[in-house]
Amino acid sequence: MTKKIDERIPQDSGNGAAFKTYNAVQSPWNKLMSYQDALHYASRFEAVLSAAVAQAYRIIIPDYATRADEMCKEAYGRLLYTGLNYPNDDGFGIHPFMCGSYPGALIGDKGDDALLMCGRCQDFGTYRCEKELDVCDWDICGSELCRATTMSLQGQADATETRHRKGHKLDYLMVEAKGCGDRHCRIIAESREKYPAPEHALWESFGPAVSDEYKKYTEEEDCVSESMMFREECDYHFVNGTNNETDSSNQMVNLSTAASLYLLPAIDNAAKLGYTTPENAEWIKKCVLEAAGKAMFGERYAIRACREWLGVPNTIGEDGRLLGGVIEMLLQSLVCNYEIEAFNKDEVIYVIDRGGLAITGTQSLVEAHLYMWQGMVKTLVNAQWSVWEEDSPKGKMRIKIAKKIDKFM
Amino acid sequence: MNKNIFKDDEWKRSEHMAVRENAGYYLFTHQLEEVSGPDAGKFLDWICPNNIANLKVGRDRYTTILNEEGEIIDDVVVMRMDEEKYWVSTLYATKLDDWIYYHSDDYDIDFSEITEDWHMFSVQGPKSKDIMNGLIEGGVEDLRFFANRNAVMNGMDVIINRGGFTGEKFGYEVYCTPDDADAVQDLIDAAVKEAGGKEVTEFQVFAWTLPTEAGFYYMRDLNRTNPFEVGLEKNINWDKEFIGKEALLKVKENGPAREMVGFEVCDENENFYIRSKQYGGPGEPVYIDGEEEEVGRVSKLVYSYVKNVNNGYILAKKDKLHIGDHITIHGTKCVITEKNWLG
Repeated sequence: MTKKIDERIPQDSGNGAAFKTYNAVQSPWNKLMSYQDALHYASRFEAVLSAAVAQAYRIIIPDYATRADEMCKEAYGRLLYTGLNYPNDDGFGIHPFMCGSYPGALIGDKGDDALLMCGRCQDFGTYRCEKELDVCDWDICGSELCRATTMSLQGQADATETRHRKGHKLDYLMVEAKGCGDRHCRIIAESREKYPAPEHALWESFGPAVSDEYKKYTEEEDCVSESMMFREECDYHFVNGTNNETDSSNQMVNLSTAASLYLLPAIDNAAKLGYTTPENAEWIKKCVLEAAGKAMFGERYAIRACREWLGVPNTIGEDGRLLGGVIEMLLQSLVCNYEIEAFNKDEVIYVIDRGGLAITGTQSLVEAHLYMWQGMVKTLVNAQWSVWEEDSPKGKMRIKIAKKIDKFM
Repeated sequence: MNKNIFKDDEWKRSEHMAVRENAGYYLFTHQLEEVSGPDAGKFLDWICPNNIANLKVGRDRYTTILNEEGEIIDDVVVMRMDEEKYWVSTLYATKLDDWIYYHSDDYDIDFSEITEDWHMFSVQGPKSKDIMNGLIEGGVEDLRFFANRNAVMNGMDVIINRGGFTGEKFGYEVYCTPDDADAVQDLIDAAVKEAGGKEVTEFQVFAWTLPTEAGFYYMRDLNRTNPFEVGLEKNINWDKEFIGKEALLKVKENGPAREMVGFEVCDENENFYIRSKQYGGPGEPVYIDGEEEEVGRVSKLVYSYVKNVNNGYILAKKDKLHIGDHITIHGTKCVITEKNWLG
């Protein structure tokens, strides 16, 4: 074993990538990938990880209604708390005269674009708002997530309402969801004073909307595939109806995941509520995520595609550098600092900033990645190889990719 | 699906028409930036293309604020509150605060955002003057358009400003402290309702339908435009220096590349689908019938309850669209018009 680093890109590759517009991420073999493209890959990888975490949550709470209800309550409460304690009206273009909960739609609108969930606001008023999405990388995570995201928006909207003079409350509903097979995701928020409807439980957030006849449905030919900040026709800026603008230079650091925002906190909460023990929850996550990782490269064509994607030279055979390349591309895309301690045919060692990988501050997401990578290395390289944490400095996760024999693996 | 969100909405219509025919009031608290000190007027003259320093105490002026490229980064009303004190009413205080900070080095001024200190109720419409005469001690007969002064309402100190965002001849803005806001609102609410008016609660009415009918802009309309493109160049003082002047002089010399025009939907199918920038995004592309060149984008599409027609603005390439031209936008027949539906 040696700590030698093969000749390759400088160790500071990717540093500061978040603060330059259209910077590229770079594989260990100098394959450059555009900022936008890398974000899409990172977003989808995190969605796949999130879908696996969602399966773990389904094992922990088998009943749909109970599971969705708990997830919605957790998401609503947490985002209400966030909205109450960390207000950012200026950051969303919410004006002082915007009373009631309709300005919450501005928060959702901006958040969607930052998550590459492109689409368009179709209505924005005191009594009715509508947002239509054409793309949602999270559409593979299950309909419970669609419900929970809606209730998190309700939480943000309700928090916004408290900062202004009395206004009208809106009921936020996701009346179409790509996660349920619809062409679009569609949130319609309605005032029950103007559009009366029976009260519903928090998790019953799919509607139907009373004001469905006002819905504006975008046909396939007019749908978009990129966020505003990546579109020329938008001057490469997200701009909402109150002229709040964001460019793409902040996009990477804004990327977050369903797992970190909703699913892992829901599992933690399920353990607190006694649906399982924390130890068992961790075990289930490990099992599911490792399996998901293995499934990523179970077929040879997936390995060939990955090598092509990373620009791996033919001289590189089956070793840990393959997974190293995948990990580095992801970390650069997430603007997560890492150091390369070793990168050769025998071992790859990274020291990864835990804070950077705990997207949105969800610490358990760090381990979730590790479980996933352990599964991936088994099929991307071969079963002789493993990924494990070893001798981590404080605040870091030092991972080693190398051959390992473990009779209880 | 695609039902017209304005036309048949009696809620919106009644609030809109209350202002046009009677009186309507609404909370319209803007962000306020206070600029004071010996150089306050001189400084505001530097960051605004319109004259500010020559404002008399108690008078207001509407002006754009430009960046160095001559693009509009804000449109504001500047109110002279005292010899050395001005209020800048904006919806962009965070950016404006930074803008002032970065350009204030050579000026003896103080500035701060005072939004938290004030609420503002707007009372608009033909009966608003009578209503305010009944509410303000001594009445408001003396108050000229775009003028402000201290006043007393039922024992409470307020600031009354004559102006508004509706195009109404008579409109008043009552500034009060947050502590007095409930009491002030109760008084206004009772007086307006007694006069047959009502509270305007719909954002789309007070921010979009009423101002658009009068040809006014909400800041989103002006994004990345210059004053010549949107017809706001008339009161620029070319005899003084101001941020953006050099770039704007080139526009003046060469002519603007674009212009904001009005349009109406004239299609019989009222359930149309045209995207507009007021909701964010790039707006619907506009083509001249039979041609492939994109000549503009829809900036705004709302409804004129006075004219009973869907109306809006298109930011178009200069001289490509003319009043009376018939065009089809996303399959819907429209006609180019003046940018004012109250005339």
